[in-house]
Amino acid sequence: MISLQRVTKVYRNGVTALEDVSVEIDKGEFVFVVGPSGSGKSTMIRLLLKQEEASRGDVFVAGKHLSKITSFKVPHLRRNIGTVFQDYKLLQDKTAFENVSFALEVIGKPKHVIDQRVPEILEYVGLGDKLNAYPDELSGGEQQRVSIARACVNRPLVLLADEPTGNLDPNTSVDIMRLLDKVNKIGTTILMATHDQAIVDAMRKRVIELDKGKVVRDQSRGVYS
Amino acid sequence: MAPRVEYFFRETASGLRRNGVVAFAAMSTAFIALFLFGLSLLIAREFALVTRVLTGNVEVQVYLTDPVSSGTVGRLTNKLQQVPAVANVAYWNKERSCEEFQRLFEGQHVFLENVDCMKVIPTSLRVKLSEVTNFEQITASLGCTIAVEPDGDQHQECTEPGVRSVADYQKLLDRLDSLTRVLSLGVFGIAVIMLVSAIGLVANTLRMGMFARRKEIGIMRLVGATNWRIRVPFLIEGMVEALLGAASAIAGLFLVKVFVVDRLRGTAPWLPLIKNTDVVAVMPWILLAAALVAVVAGTIGMRRFLDV
Repeated sequence: MISLQRVTKVYRNGVTALEDVSVEIDKGEFVFVVGPSGSGKSTMIRLLLKQEEASRGDVFVAGKHLSKITSFKVPHLRRNIGTVFQDYKLLQDKTAFENVSFALEVIGKPKHVIDQRVPEILEYVGLGDKLNAYPDELSGGEQQRVSIARACVNRPLVLLADEPTGNLDPNTSVDIMRLLDKVNKIGTTILMATHDQAIVDAMRKRVIELDKGKVVRDQSRGVYS
Repeated sequence: MAPRVEYFFRETASGLRRNGVVAFAAMSTAFIALFLFGLSLLIAREFALVTRVLTGNVEVQVYLTDPVSSGTVGRLTNKLQQVPAVANVAYWNKERSCEEFQRLFEGQHVFLENVDCMKVIPTSLRVKLSEVTNFEQITASLGCTIAVEPDGDQHQECTEPGVRSVADYQKLLDRLDSLTRVLSLGVFGIAVIMLVSAIGLVANTLRMGMFARRKEIGIMRLVGATNWRIRVPFLIEGMVEALLGAASAIAGLFLVKVFVVDRLRGTAPWLPLIKNTDVVAVMPWILLAAALVAVVAGTIGMRRFLDV
């Protein structure tokens, strides 16, 4: 589902963010990418979304060779990838329902699909009673649930999560991890970049550790360090 | 398709609301630019009308020295008829010339009562030309040249006996032409400068709109909205601004026609004036210019946001 083959990324300012990284992730896997700040976790996610191009090597996501697809096709690639971030990236002037429906609306889904899927997915993430709440009326954990709902509403093959629990307290983080695990169980491949040692240790999933742009460990059912 | 159209217009409307003052500035600049653009076209049309009236019944008037003998008339008529550009020659005596004078100044008593036309108006040969541009053949055949006095004044001198002067249409046409050019090109030039600033302002509104909504645009990119999906609301916004400018410009031109041009009607019966149909005829050009403003502004305004 995700494959990086000898990928190197050097930014224009000369910083090498990833160096000769090779990773294979199968369909339905749940993978943590861990490592200190600046180790290349976010760069990896940016490469998978084709927000950045690899300097060398090949990146495959959902069967697509990213350096071969035109910028014209990039939006269609991203429809197969859900994204969740530390800062939720919700629109403050839209309700939970509208934030989620926005994602379908802007890719041209018809209204009857939106009206069916949006309440369904919000129910799924546990916000069935908060459809009309605005982000500032929701707790951090609830906002992250809205963001996960938005990432999953178009039924993506892959979910990329960049520090999704970074702003949350430990208990809420556990709830969010339960939700992600639930999303993973229905077949979504999940790659989650994180600092959160407690979570990684508790989940016992595959762990890829990066340090200074290199893979220093790739361990199934691993712990943080 | 219906929800898409609704989506685009909803996004455009909210963009215009958010950006009200800036959008208004862009719109009014577009209005002024398009108004001046239309005005330059109307001025050109007005002068084209005047030129057509003047050249449509081109007749060169060869004024004769009083008193005129029938011999002189016959000799000059023959001579003129040999000029290739001449279609026919008619002799207007005093009475005929007087009638024409009274017709031209009908109702203007100051002229009719104070001018003794039998004395003042000279007899003339009216020469019909097959083509206006061959006017010079007449002056040449009668030996008329423009003499320049030491003080810079110009007057016409004719060597042919019995000829007093030849009415010089060419000079009038030349003057009219340069007047058209100065007025029409002058206004057009200002219009072009204004159009460029309208483009700049519309582009700026779009850019500010995109900046204000950069978070939204970022999310749209992440969830896989196409570039067109992202851009079209902004393009429509630019289009709406330009078209509102065009609509006010067209309204403005009609007002000019009603309150300026129509007031002149009747003061000079011989002067042809632009009509409503002329204003209608420049409308497509104004709309075209408006579309150009919108498209160029859209291209410039969104250039930086094209990267995925």
